Amino acid sequence: MRNYENLVIVKPTLTAEEIQQSLKAVEEVITSNGGEIATTDSMGMRKLAYPIEKNERGYFHVIYYSVAPSAINEIERRFRLNEELLRFITIKYDTNKEIIAFKQLVQKAQKKIEAQAKVETPVKAEEKATEEVKAEEAPATEEVKAEEAPATETPAAPVTPAAE
Amino acid sequence: MAERRKYKKRYCKYCEAKVDFMDYKDMGALRFSLSERYKIMPRRLTGNCKRHQDMISTVIKRARAAALVPYTVTRKTVVTAPFENLK
Repeated sequence: MRNYENLVIVKPTLTAEEIQQSLKAVEEVITSNGGEIATTDSMGMRKLAYPIEKNERGYFHVIYYSVAPSAINEIERRFRLNEELLRFITIKYDTNKEIIAFKQLVQKAQKKIEAQAKVETPVKAEEKATEEVKAEEAPATEEVKAEEAPATETPAAPVTPAAE
Repeated sequence: MAERRKYKKRYCKYCEAKVDFMDYKDMGALRFSLSERYKIMPRRLTGNCKRHQDMISTVIKRARAAALVPYTVTRKTVVTAPFENLK
């Protein structure tokens, strides 16, 4: 078993659901060839540095996994047949330093996923909280304005007779 | 002269940071070794050591294949998007 990383660029013309489906299909290709997926890291829709097949954008997805080196040929062949992929890149992590780096990258990707999961849940709670706060603040600000309005008028009143 | 002095100090930035591995997806790190037109900067200008220059050149080539960094930049793209993709 050797550690590998695959970057896959999916066509931007697909809908979000179709993209997720095709990514699942990509991961199935790896698992069906005896691969164990460590983590995945979706970089999202990005602008490409240069157009590929006349597409200006693409959905980037990174998969970290480990397979037997002999299975890579078959995996790449399957990727090449897949017309939904604009580009794929396979990188092997073989030497000791690279394996250490691989573990770090996997950890980083997992933290990212955890952070996203955390962000999604509190955001909803915060939205409710902010709505309540706004509801509370709205009448309060009106009162303040009401208080300020006469206060500003009173000094203006004596000025006008003085000017006359 | 001011521009020249930018490259005059000859030490390897990557040695100083003790970089053992570079990730081709981390484009902030590549930016130092890329020219305005996304050419790989030569060692005589950046002062990189041979080991790190080799690492950088492979990493940049990977990033190019992944459409993260362009291969070539024409006059149009230089004007419209300098370093826009390197965020």
